[in-house]
Amino acid sequence: MKDRWEIILSGVGGQGLILSGTILGEAAVVYEGKNATLTSSYGTETRGTFTKSDIIISSGDIYFPEVTKADIVLALAPVAYDRCISDMDKDAVLIYDSDLITDVKNTGVRQYGCPITQTARRLGNATAANLVALGIIARMTGVVSETSVIKAIGDRFPAKSQVAELNIKAFKGGVIICKINLYTGQGVGWK
Amino acid sequence: MSSIKYDDYLLKDKLPLFWCGGCGNGNVLGSILRAFANLKFKRQKTVVVTGIGCWGKADDYINTNTFHGTHGRALAFATGIKLANPDLNVIALMGDGDGATIGGNHLIHAARRNVDITAVLVNNFNYGMTGGQYSGTTPEHSFTSTSRYGHIEEGFDLCKLAAAAGAPFVARGTVYGITQLDKLVEQALCKKGFSFVEVITPCPTHFGRLNGLKTASLMLNWIKENSVTKNQAEKMSDGEIRGKFVTGVFVDVDKEDYSTRYKKLQQRAAEAVEGGCDK
Amino acid sequence: MTVKGNVRFIQGNEAMAEGALAAGARFFAGYPITPSSEIAEVSSRRLPKLGGVYVQMEDEIGSIAAVIGASVAGKKSFTATSGPGFSLMQENLGVAVMAEVPCVIINVQRSGPSTGLATKPAQGDVMQCRWGTHGDHGIIVLSPSSVQDCYDLTIKAFSLAEEYRTPVILLADEIVGHMREKVVFQELQTDEIKVRKAPGCSPEYYKPFRLGEGVTPLACYGGEHVFRVSGSTHDEWGFACSRPGNAEKYIRHYTEKIENNRDRIVLTREYNLSDAEYTIVTFGCTTRSALEAMYIARSTGKRVGVLELVTLWPFAEESVMEACQNARAVIVPEMNLGQVLREVQRVVGRNIPVVGVNKVDSKAIRPAEILDKIREVETCLV
Repeated sequence: MKDRWEIILSGVGGQGLILSGTILGEAAVVYEGKNATLTSSYGTETRGTFTKSDIIISSGDIYFPEVTKADIVLALAPVAYDRCISDMDKDAVLIYDSDLITDVKNTGVRQYGCPITQTARRLGNATAANLVALGIIARMTGVVSETSVIKAIGDRFPAKSQVAELNIKAFKGGVIICKINLYTGQGVGWK
Repeated sequence: MSSIKYDDYLLKDKLPLFWCGGCGNGNVLGSILRAFANLKFKRQKTVVVTGIGCWGKADDYINTNTFHGTHGRALAFATGIKLANPDLNVIALMGDGDGATIGGNHLIHAARRNVDITAVLVNNFNYGMTGGQYSGTTPEHSFTSTSRYGHIEEGFDLCKLAAAAGAPFVARGTVYGITQLDKLVEQALCKKGFSFVEVITPCPTHFGRLNGLKTASLMLNWIKENSVTKNQAEKMSDGEIRGKFVTGVFVDVDKEDYSTRYKKLQQRAAEAVEGGCDK
Repeated sequence: MTVKGNVRFIQGNEAMAEGALAAGARFFAGYPITPSSEIAEVSSRRLPKLGGVYVQMEDEIGSIAAVIGASVAGKKSFTATSGPGFSLMQENLGVAVMAEVPCVIINVQRSGPSTGLATKPAQGDVMQCRWGTHGDHGIIVLSPSSVQDCYDLTIKAFSLAEEYRTPVILLADEIVGHMREKVVFQELQTDEIKVRKAPGCSPEYYKPFRLGEGVTPLACYGGEHVFRVSGSTHDEWGFACSRPGNAEKYIRHYTEKIENNRDRIVLTREYNLSDAEYTIVTFGCTTRSALEAMYIARSTGKRVGVLELVTLWPFAEESVMEACQNARAVIVPEMNLGQVLREVQRVVGRNIPVVGVNKVDSKAIRPAEILDKIREVETCLV
């Protein structure tokens, strides 16, 4: 079982990717006793420009908190896709939102397009795309259990509120997409 | 029980006062200490905060708690003191260079915030301690050690500034009219909220010397001749009022002070349920 | 937020605010500035619930002034800022030194000079912390390298501030301040929280600046003890005093009360130093790169050790000397052009090479860059 995961979440400001990373980290740290770090780089603008979050989850100590060898890269916007695809480690897997990114480049990198925005919209609101993406990543890596993530979502929002329900639904939607469309962690060759 | 007198607040062994002959600071100090005595302020519950400059030395003669900080920042120190312990009487003493020039931003924000502090700003139209350079209140066309060809800037009307910034009590007195000043200071100290008193005061040593007013009597006369009451001013044209010192109370309204509002905020906060990041 | 026990996954900035509250801080005055604003935000939400006060001042000059005022009025007080705001605070930082007022100033460093790269990290304020305010003085500066440190060292900062009646600077950086990481809010022992003692003497004998016999307790405005506080050179009563001998005595005191207690103030962490051929001296966010580099080097058989300066000032001269004296070379990585490097060189002397890995491009120093430097030094030494 792989005990250290390095994940990049990229998109544009306002998509809620830092929240996705935070929920993932909380699930790992608070509910599974692991260590995690989350660092983000962003511009001076609050919304609209390229953002990137690095999340590392490990059962051991984490020193340098930036991703040096990514296992998974998520791209939720064309600008993010273009920047990430050109800078991918050969062992990494790229997950992108096929609803937003149509100009796919074949660089030999393993990449999977998923209907992330559409799924979120179908489940209630396109703004929950970040949680759909989280579901895909959680399922694909198995880095944290689905139960832990759902508990972490529950901590962030008022219990049984609409927003909590929407986010949990979106997360589960991501898990299902992963089950249907993607290989499992084993399948893409993670050890 | 013997009555409280102004000199119960005076550090007599620090006399004589450090200020030049003809300076008005001692008179203003007298008004403040008389007001303390009339209001029976407890020394333990009173903090006098001073800035830097001639008037900033006033705390040397006062036996309440004192705080002597940096140039222009008296109101900022006073804000911290008052908000940390709203039971204290907090008085900020500032000069025109100190409180209205380098510290002008703190003045308008303290007025806007309505912190329950009394500010007594002594305006002698120049920086006395550093040799009589022009300040933010130096009148146009006057001469100072750095405006030898006549000052080209207009000075602030500090009462209008404080009023515009929202102070619930704004008044101006002069060292010539001590009886009125005593009353204004006392009224200001009684006001719950930010109260501002500007005092026009002579500096014969510097400002007076370069403007044909080099004795105390010439300066006092100049202040007297140019002072008009608020009622008189109302009947004067803009041209007539230019260069005059209008005296009296300009604003006296009731407004909830910062600490009262903050206490309510604390109650709301205590009742509020701590939410997650997005609520 | 309901969490399991006291384990959280939060930002360094949030942990510093929580640490301050745990230490008993009940007054915050500040001005918003990236990358420190979350400290203000958390304080503004949490303080009023605890009966404390949050006030947003008109600038950083006013912020530190209000913090000093509130501290003398009896509240444990703090502010948080970044380089530009910290520059504005320098004059009044001197008031806290001169008037011996305990308070905590958090500086979450960003790239400079001036506005610089406003959202990007740097470690360029090491010397501003030490010498930013004019005149001779001692200063205590702590530097966190993890979110746990952000919590623990903020508590420590308040204790040191009260113990030595001095401003204490917590010198964080954008990386540590914005990073989310695991933190455990440990139960505090009573001796970890320093409570200000009222002066024991009767009011008429209280001299707030009495020298000798340790640090004189600071009374609070509003209590029995009526007292004077001054940023001018003053005597033991707080009266302005211009006698040369008095000035000499007090100005030396401000340095000596810190320097003479180095043993109790200086904190360092040592990693694999006993057999180290190469010693990395580091602080703040760069510690993490140094440790990663050390473990990578160790895995290839290279004997690398790390000395982390948790207390930056007073400078850990003894620990640096000890950690470096048997090394073949000393590496000092920092996100500036050599502010700690020169201190290490001063302590270590000329017989051992001390080289920097210095970066000011706003990117974190990567472990590989430290390893490259070690290799480079190795080649030179052969």
